Amino acid sequence: MSIEEQYRTRAKELLSGGAVKMVIGYGKGSNASRRRPIFISSADDVERLVLDDACITNLSGYLVSEGLLSDEKRVAVFLRPEGIRAINILAAESQLDADQIVIFGFDVAGNEVKALKGIHVEEFSDVITSIKESAPEAAEEELFEKIEKMSPQERFSFWQEEFSKCIKCYACRQACPMCYCRRCIVDSNQPQWVNTSSHTLGNFEWNIVRAFHLSGRCVECGNCDRACPVNIPLRLINHRMAEEVLGAFDHFAGTSKTQEPVLASFKKDDSETFIL
Amino acid sequence: MSETFEPEIIAFVCTYCTYAGADLAGTSRLKYAPNVRIIRLPCTGRISPMFILKALQKGADGVLISGCHPGDCHFTHGNYHARRRWMVFRALLDFIGIPPERVKYSWISAAEGVKFAEFINSVTEDIRKLGPFEQYTQLIDQAKAPASL
Ligand code: SF4
Ligand code: SF4
Repeated sequence: MSIEEQYRTRAKELLSGGAVKMVIGYGKGSNASRRRPIFISSADDVERLVLDDACITNLSGYLVSEGLLSDEKRVAVFLRPEGIRAINILAAESQLDADQIVIFGFDVAGNEVKALKGIHVEEFSDVITSIKESAPEAAEEELFEKIEKMSPQERFSFWQEEFSKCIKCYACRQACPMCYCRRCIVDSNQPQWVNTSSHTLGNFEWNIVRAFHLSGRCVECGNCDRACPVNIPLRLINHRMAEEVLGAFDHFAGTSKTQEPVLASFKKDDSETFIL
Repeated sequence: MSETFEPEIIAFVCTYCTYAGADLAGTSRLKYAPNVRIIRLPCTGRISPMFILKALQKGADGVLISGCHPGDCHFTHGNYHARRRWMVFRALLDFIGIPPERVKYSWISAAEGVKFAEFINSVTEDIRKLGPFEQYTQLIDQAKAPASL
């Protein structure tokens, strides 16, 4: 039985027995190579679930939709390892109760889909540890290294070019599971920290703040990057920040549901070579 | 254009140590570069990275941040939190192309008037050498220009 079949069967059992109130998974998209999130609450609909190598989106963000989990019922969700890490982060930041989340874990190697064993988030810690140990590269390692080798002026020009395209649509924010604030700093106008216009100055500020607020929390799922309508390579900034917190504080975001957020904790002997 | 460039520098300092250190520098009649505008805050933990961005947005050529030495925080660990934040923010600015030389961090206690004066002088000198932060001010000018349709 294919994994898709197995997971449909499991979804059917869970829904018909009332063990979960909803299954969040993937369905057919607007063309053959696209998948879109679907929200199933009836056992009769499980045939609509699709699971293949085109299932890319990290669906964990839907779990923090207002009111979804407040009735304390369980919700099942299809997640890749990055999505599972996101559950840990959301739980660690008290945004959800991990016990309410039933995980349909999967991963894709090449174009082969494999199931990840487990139901609750703590059962996936081996998978997460092995990702940490394999030290994943940036999505575009070559470009990433090129940027690192540039002079600050060149880097500034590179990002100036990229950020000048930003239209401040905030799709990157909406797509990110960890961008759950009811009131984002860019929506605040008393005081107004970030220029609201989508001129390049305001875009610099916005993109810097976005990346900073996700430092040590981003799981590099790529939702933001794929959502960006003007293709700003946000993945590169995300990766740089993940590398920083790993190198400086040995912090790999989302290893457990009790992990301390890296910027809300400290060690007395944290590195401070840059402080005069 | 033979005049030397006088950088504008904004310093965000903690009132319990660096601000008192600045006071000591003043009462000890130590001379230091007049390029720095000091903004006093209750703790380094209160210095949001947004302040740094705001200073740059308003045309600062450099930003200084200073507070109590580790272990000396009035609130016991505000500076430990701040230190982590700076570490990460610094890496981010660097990756985006905002040179780390323009944003400097230090620990200066209430007793270190001399260190304060020297710190201000050396940073002012370094930023004077770097010149105005043209790449950023150019963005500010662009933002001020009327929109072209
Ligand atoms: S910042 Fe982007 S890559 Fe990181 S968790 Fe959010 S959506 Fe995913
Ligand atoms: S998705 Fe892209 S264009 Fe939209 S706000 Fe984010 S960076 Fe800017």
